[in-house]
Parts: sequence; C-alpha cells; structure tokens
Amino acid sequence: MLLVLALVKGAMLTGRIQKGGKNPFMLHGRAGIFLFAILLGTFFYGLWIRLLHDEPLLRSVHGWLGLVIVTIAALQVLPSVTAKERTKLRPMHRLLGYSLAPLIVIEAVWGLYMGVTDGGKSLVLVHSLSGGLAVLCLTWIAVEMLYLKGEGIARARIASYLASFFLIAGCWIAGGYNYRTAYGAEVRPVILAGPTPWAHIIVMEAKEHIFVFLPIIAIALSITLATLDGEALLKNPKSRRALAVVAFLALFIVLITFLMGAIISNAGKAGLEV
Amino acid sequence: MKDRSAIFIASAAISVFLTGAIIIAHDISRELRQFLTGLTGHHWISVSAIAAIVFLLISTMSYLITGSEKTRHTLKADSLWNWSWVLAAITLVMALGVLAVYVLHYLSA
Repeated sequence: MLLVLALVKGAMLTGRIQKGGKNPFMLHGRAGIFLFAILLGTFFYGLWIRLLHDEPLLRSVHGWLGLVIVTIAALQVLPSVTAKERTKLRPMHRLLGYSLAPLIVIEAVWGLYMGVTDGGKSLVLVHSLSGGLAVLCLTWIAVEMLYLKGEGIARARIASYLASFFLIAGCWIAGGYNYRTAYGAEVRPVILAGPTPWAHIIVMEAKEHIFVFLPIIAIALSITLATLDGEALLKNPKSRRALAVVAFLALFIVLITFLMGAIISNAGKAGLEV
Repeated sequence: MKDRSAIFIASAAISVFLTGAIIIAHDISRELRQFLTGLTGHHWISVSAIAAIVFLLISTMSYLITGSEKTRHTLKADSLWNWSWVLAAITLVMALGVLAVYVLHYLSA
C-alpha cells in the first residue's frame, strides 16, 4: 500500500496522472520514508534470522535483491531529505522509483516462495512471479483509470497487455503444466496423506477452477482498452471507473488465488514433515 | 459512430457464467467429468479450452449482432458501467459457488 501510495502521489507530482486528494508532496514524502523504514527493517530482520540459524549471509537471490532494494530506497529517500536543490535529481528519482515497484514485488514473491516451498521448484517460482507482476500491472491499470490524463490510456493499454501475458503464460500455462506434472505426482499425494488434506480437496480444486475466470477477464479488459476511443474515455469518468472495477476484480482474484497457493504450498511442506 | 465499448466485458460476464456452470456441473456429474477428461486427457485442460473457445465465440457473436442500433440499445452495448458490475457480480457468485461445491464435496466424503 505504501509503495502504491508513494508511486501514485509521485506520478501526480510529475503530472503524469490527474491530481487527487490533498498535498501529494507531503504524502509522497511520508509514504517514501515509511516504506524505506519497513524495507530496512525487513532486510535486517532477514539477516538476523539467517544469523540465528547459523546460515551464511547474502548467498541467495532473495538476499542480494533485498540489498539492491534497500540501496535504491536509500538513494531515493536520503538525497530527497537532505539536498536543498533537487531539480537535477528528479529524472533519476523517477527512474529509481518506478524500478523499485517490480523489484519489491519480485522480492516479496521470492521470499514467500522460499518460505513455503524451501526452493527448488522453478516452475512454481515462475508461476508465483507472474502472479505478482500481474498484480502490479492490474494496480497500474486501476490507477491510470482513476486519474486518467492524455497519455495514460496508452500506458493502461501496455499494462493490460502485460497483465494478460503474465496471467496466460506465467499463471495459466506454466501453472497448469506444473499442476499436471510435478504437483499431481509429488505434492498432491503428500497433502492427501498429511494433516491437512482439505488443502487439496477444497483449496487446490477451487483455486485451479476459479483461476480459469481470470484470463477471460484480463483479455476482455485488454481488448476493451485497445478498442476504446481514448478521447471519449477521457471525457467519461463513469466508463473509467467501470474499467477500474474490472481491474480491481481481476486483482482481487489474483490475490485470493495467491493466498490459496500459499496455503497449498504450506500444506505440502507440512505433509513432508509428518 | 457505433459505440459498443462494453461488448467484450459483457462477453466475459457471459463466458464466466457458462464456464462456472460447467465447473460446478462437472463436479456434480460423473458423466460430464468423464466426458471432459475424454476430450483432452484431463478435465481441467478441457474446462480451460472450453472457457477460451466460449469467450472467443461469444465475443465474435456479440460484435456481429451489435451491428444494428436496436440490438446495441437493447443489450446496452455502450454501458461499460453496467456490464462491469455484472461481470464483477457474476464472477464473485460463480467463485463462491465453485468453492461451496468443493466444501460440500469434502464434508460429504
């Protein structure tokens, strides 16, 4: 939420999207500082946990990516707080700010993947990363629609194509292949024999079928954005809110299936420990 | 100008409803499940393929039939607002329906 708030208020300040709410400058700054504090805290917490388990530091992609993110976040916040003349810093601040969003999503998904699967299942990682990046794209579409300005329609179209790609290639095809091969042969029997068989019978069965709705919604959103008259959309706030509703709907389903995925992976892990 | 901006969202709503109905029915009816398994080798792949085909067919059909002013008006083909909420409602109801079927399936086993 802090990441989205910092990005949205930053985009309002640069005039990329319409201004909304009071004092975007103050909110952008505060969201950035709080986000930096959380990133720094979670990074050192991760290091502390590694030390507690006598594990080497910074030996994983998750660890190194965390360091990169904290460094970028520091480069975003510290000069903004200390420097008096910030005009020259703005292009770099903007570039680093936008690059932080996918990096944080990838880092969060990677951490969750390591936490619930113990690593080693690259297809599950691709599946989860695609879901995380789709969340980012769908949020991007919703923000563009709620605060649309001239060039925003082109950006929303790109975001919708990316969302459709991640949902179809990464989630549907890669996830479906994993479900048919590794999951069916290795994970499913373990869950059914473990302490939480409902994780397969209810959660996995519901997840795999509810997911089928998502590519349909994403493609419908993409085609609608691609075929809509941009000028007419700019003048019609009701239609823009309607498209935001569709983006939020897809976002909600991705997040629910994400939660279901975590429950299933956790059940697989619990089954192996029995 | 022919404003039929909502037809793909409307097509998605109808497709989600039909796909959801097939999903619920195939868990209740063993014959349907066997039929779907026989189509591609796995019921989930068949449901996925049917969802894609249904959306393609309904979208094409909606595009063709909304060529006339009367049909566009009757179907509210220009109302993104109405059809977006219809899509949201149908998706959530069908998702809850699918979840309910598997909960009942688990409880009755």
